[in-house]
Amino acid sequence: MSAGLTRLWERLPLKKHAAQSRIRVFSNQDQPEIEDDEEFRVLSLRTVKQQFQRRQQVRRDPITPPRTTRMAVDQDWTAVWPGPRSFHPASVPLPLRQGFTERGAAAPSKFANAELMKIPNFLHLTPPAIRQQCEAIKRFCTPWPKGLETEAKWQRHFPIEVTTTDYCQSLPTIRNPEARKVTVSLKLSDLRFDSHSRDKFLRLVGDRYNKETDILTIVTDRCPQKKQNYDYALYLLTACYHESFVTEPWEETKSEADMEEYLFERNQSKISAEGILNWNAKEGAPKESPSKSYANSVEQLINEGENEYNLGKYKEEVKKMLNIV
Amino acid sequence: MYLSRQLRLLPRANIARSLSSSGAHYTTAPAEDSHSTIEIPNRIERSPTDILQALAGTVGRDHTAPHYKYHDDPFLIPMSNAAKRTYAMSKESGRKAAKWIKEEHRELFMHQEAQPAVEKFAPSMVYTEDSHVEESSLRQLISQGELKDAVLVYNLLEQKGTSISPDLKQSLLELVCFHNNQEPLPEEYIEERWFMQNNQRRERSAKTWKDGDLAEKLYSEIEPKTPQSYASLIRGMAKYLQCERAYALLQEAGEKQIQLDTNTFNSIIQIVSFLKDTAEQRWQLCTELLQEMSQQKLRPNLGTLNSVLQCISTFGNFKLARSAALQVLPEFKQLGVSPSLGTYYYLLIIFCRERGPVSHVIVDILNDIAGKEFQIEHPKDTYFFATAMDVCRNHLHDKSLAKKVNELLHTGKNYDLVGDSFKESIYYRNYLALLCQTESLDDFMLTYDLLVPNIYIPEPGIMEEILRAVEINGGVEYVPRIWSDMVVFDHTHRESLLLYVLRILVDNKPSGESPAQQQLPEQGAKVALDMYEKVEDAIKRLRKVSFTGQMLGDILTLLVRGGNFEKACEVFAHVDKNQHRIPGTPAESALQEFVEASVLEKSPSQALVVLQYAVENNMDSSALAKRIHEGFTLNEVHLSKLKSLVGESFLDK
Repeated sequence: MSAGLTRLWERLPLKKHAAQSRIRVFSNQDQPEIEDDEEFRVLSLRTVKQQFQRRQQVRRDPITPPRTTRMAVDQDWTAVWPGPRSFHPASVPLPLRQGFTERGAAAPSKFANAELMKIPNFLHLTPPAIRQQCEAIKRFCTPWPKGLETEAKWQRHFPIEVTTTDYCQSLPTIRNPEARKVTVSLKLSDLRFDSHSRDKFLRLVGDRYNKETDILTIVTDRCPQKKQNYDYALYLLTACYHESFVTEPWEETKSEADMEEYLFERNQSKISAEGILNWNAKEGAPKESPSKSYANSVEQLINEGENEYNLGKYKEEVKKMLNIV
Repeated sequence: MYLSRQLRLLPRANIARSLSSSGAHYTTAPAEDSHSTIEIPNRIERSPTDILQALAGTVGRDHTAPHYKYHDDPFLIPMSNAAKRTYAMSKESGRKAAKWIKEEHRELFMHQEAQPAVEKFAPSMVYTEDSHVEESSLRQLISQGELKDAVLVYNLLEQKGTSISPDLKQSLLELVCFHNNQEPLPEEYIEERWFMQNNQRRERSAKTWKDGDLAEKLYSEIEPKTPQSYASLIRGMAKYLQCERAYALLQEAGEKQIQLDTNTFNSIIQIVSFLKDTAEQRWQLCTELLQEMSQQKLRPNLGTLNSVLQCISTFGNFKLARSAALQVLPEFKQLGVSPSLGTYYYLLIIFCRERGPVSHVIVDILNDIAGKEFQIEHPKDTYFFATAMDVCRNHLHDKSLAKKVNELLHTGKNYDLVGDSFKESIYYRNYLALLCQTESLDDFMLTYDLLVPNIYIPEPGIMEEILRAVEINGGVEYVPRIWSDMVVFDHTHRESLLLYVLRILVDNKPSGESPAQQQLPEQGAKVALDMYEKVEDAIKRLRKVSFTGQMLGDILTLLVRGGNFEKACEVFAHVDKNQHRIPGTPAESALQEFVEASVLEKSPSQALVVLQYAVENNMDSSALAKRIHEGFTLNEVHLSKLKSLVGESFLDK
C-alpha cells in the first residue's frame, strides 16, 4: 500500500499536466501515458509557452427527436392540426417528399422543404375533422322546411335571391367597405307584364337584365349600411315595376328609331311589298296586302338575325308572294 | 378572407301579401297548388361567438405538443423546468422591452390605425411636477388603478392647495390601502405571475404594512371618520399583517358605534391567528367577532366562511379544530353560503393532518362536487387541487380518489383554478408518485407518456420513485427510456439517481425471451457509456458528481454485457489509472465478468491487468486468478506475472 501512497503523491502534480495535455492541440513531445516510479521528472518550461487552449466548444443541450416519433398511430389528428397552418414537418408524421432532383436521386425530404411549405395543405380538413365539426354545429341548425324539397319549389315560393358577404380579416380594423354590397336577383318570368310594361321595364332596368338567363340582377352599394342597401334594392325593384305600368304622355312620341323590335306594319318593307304587289294595278282596285306569313318571315329575319332557317323561310315567302315556282 | 353566403328570405309577411293581393298584374308567378303553407322554423338564437366556441370544443389536447406559448419546433421546445421558465420569461422580457421602448420614444407611437382605437397602444399620460392637474384627472387615475400616478397627482393637488372632495379622498384611501402604497405587478405580465411562487411564501408571515405612510395620512385627513374610511384602513392593515393596530381600530369603531361591513370583519377574522396564541383563545375571539357581526345585523358571506376556516386550520389542538369546523359548516349552510373550492381546501388541511388520524372527508367532498364547474370565488380556491392530490397520495394512498380529482380538474374550465406553476407541479408530482406506486407499470407509463414532458417535468425525487417502481415491477425495458428522459431533463448531476439506474440495469439480467428485452444488453451498454461520458464531462466542468468505484464497476458490467469490449477496457484503464481519485472499488462480480469477457476476447494481458488491480486493492483475487489460469494458455511472461501477483500455489492446482 505504501507503494500506492507514494504514487498518489507523485501523481497529483503530474495529473494536471496530463489533463492539460488532452486540451493542448500542438505538443512537441509525446507524454508517456503510463509513468513509472523510477523515472525522474523532467522540468520542461517550453511546453507552457506552446500551450493554447482550443476554443471553448459551445455546449449544446441534447435535442429531442421531432415529436412525430412519439405520436401514436391512433391519435386524435384533429387535436394536432385543428386549423389551417403552413406545413410543419416535425408535427406531421408522414414521410412526404417533394421536389425535383437529378435523375436517380430521391426527392428532397420534408424537413426544410420550401415547396411543401408554399403549397396549401388540407390536413385540417380530414373527413373525421369535418364530421366532428358538423356534429358540433348541428345544434344551431333547424330542419329544412317541408314543401321546399326541389329547386323548382324554391323558385316558386322564394323567387328573389339576396346575396351579401361578410369579411373576416387580420388587419387593425374589423371593418371592410365591401361588406355593404347587396345583390338582389330575380327571374323576370316570375313577374307579370304586358307588352308595353315589359318594354318599359327593360328600358328602365337596362344592363341589369340578362337576356339569356332571364335574370334581373340589382347590385347596390351606394348606402353605407348593408340593411340600407337591401332596402334600396327592393325599392328599386318595386318602383321600376310599378313605373313600367304607367304610360307617360311623352311616350306617344316613340318613333321608329326607338322601337326595340321590328314590326312589319310600321316599316318600309310593307310599303315596298305593297308597292310590288300593287304594281300596275288599276286605280280604285282593292289594295293587295302582303300575306301574314310573309310579314312574319320578314319580322323574324330582322329581329332574330340572319340564319339559315330564317333566310330559307323568307325565300319561300318571297317566292310564294311573287308566284315564283 | 372568409366569405359567407346567405340566402336571405323575404320577410314572410310580404309573401303572404303578394300571394293574396288583388291587382291583376301585381302578383308573382301563378299561384299553383301551394295549399300547404310553408313552415319555416325560427332561427336559433346565438351569440356572435357561439359557433366558434362550438368548433373550439371539438379540439382536444395534443399530448406531444408543447404549451402554445412556446414555439413549436424540436429545437425550441423546452425540456426541463429551468428551460420552461427561461423561455417563458424571456418572451415576457421581450414584451417588457417593447413596452419600455414605447414609453421611452412615445413620439413615435402616436398613430392609431386600429378601428376601433386601442387605448393601450396610445402613449400614456406622464405626470411630472409641472403638469396641470385637476380633480377629474385624479378621479380617472383612481378608476384606472394607477397607483403611482394617482399619488403623484394627489401630492400636486395638495401643493397647489386645491380642495379635494371627501369621496375622492376615500377612493384614494381605498386604492392606497389595497396596495399598501406599492405599485403591484401589472396584470399583463402573465408569465411572471405564473412563475412567482416563493416571494409570496415569505410575505405571508411578515408584517409589510407601511406605518405612518400615505394611507394613514389620508385617513387622518378625512374628518369626520366615516364607516368606509374605517373599513378601508382596517382591511388594509389586516391584509398586510399590521394585526394589533387593525384590531385596535376595529374596537375603536365598535366603541364609536360605527357600522362596519362584512368584508371588514372577514379580514379581521383572517388575522385572528396572529392576535392570539392558543387554540382556545383564537376560537373565543373568532366567536366574539362573529357575534358582533350578528349584532350589527351583517350577513356573512363566503369570505366569512373561509376566514373562519382559515383561523380554525391554525389551531394546534386537533380535536378543537375538528369540532369547530363541524360546527361551523352546517350553520353557514343554513345561512345559504355555498362553499367554494377554498372552503374545501381548508377542510382538507384541518382534517387530513400529517400526525393526526386518517380522515376520509375527501371522499364526501369529491362526491359533492363531482362534475361541477367552478369559477374563482376566493383567493384560496387555487390551493384546492394541489392539496387534494397531496391528501390522496400521502394521507390515503388511494388511486381511485386521485383519478376522481384529476377528472374534476379536467371538467369544463376547472383547469384555470390550478393556480400557478408551483401548485401545478406539486399536483402532478403527487399524482405521478401515487400512480407509480399503485398502478401497474404499463398503465403508469401510459399516463407518463401523456403528461411528460409537456405538461409536467418530474423532479429528481419523482424520477427516483419511478425507478423504484420499475425495479419492483421488474420492468427493466423501460430503464433506457427513463435514462434518456433524465438526460433531457437535466437530472444527471444527482449521484444517487445515476447509481440507482446502473443498479437496476445490472441486477436484472435480461431474459432474452420477451421481445422488449432483447435489445436490452445493447441499450444497457449505451446507457452506461452515455453516463460515463456525462460524468467525465461533469468532472471537467467541476460539477458536483464524480465517479465512484461502484458506479464504474456497474458501467463495466453493462459494457461487457452489451458486447462493447474496447470501451470496457478504456473504462477499466481509467479506473486503474485514477485509483486515488475514485472512492471505493468496482464490485467483485464486475471484475469477474470483465475477466470472462477478456477470456472470450482472448486478451490475457488485459486479464492480468485486472488481476493486478485486484491484488493491489486487497480484493479477492483467487477466483480471478483461477479463472485466468483456466481460461488462457499463458506464455512465459504472463505466467511469471501471474506468479508474482498471486504466488506459486495457484499454478499447481
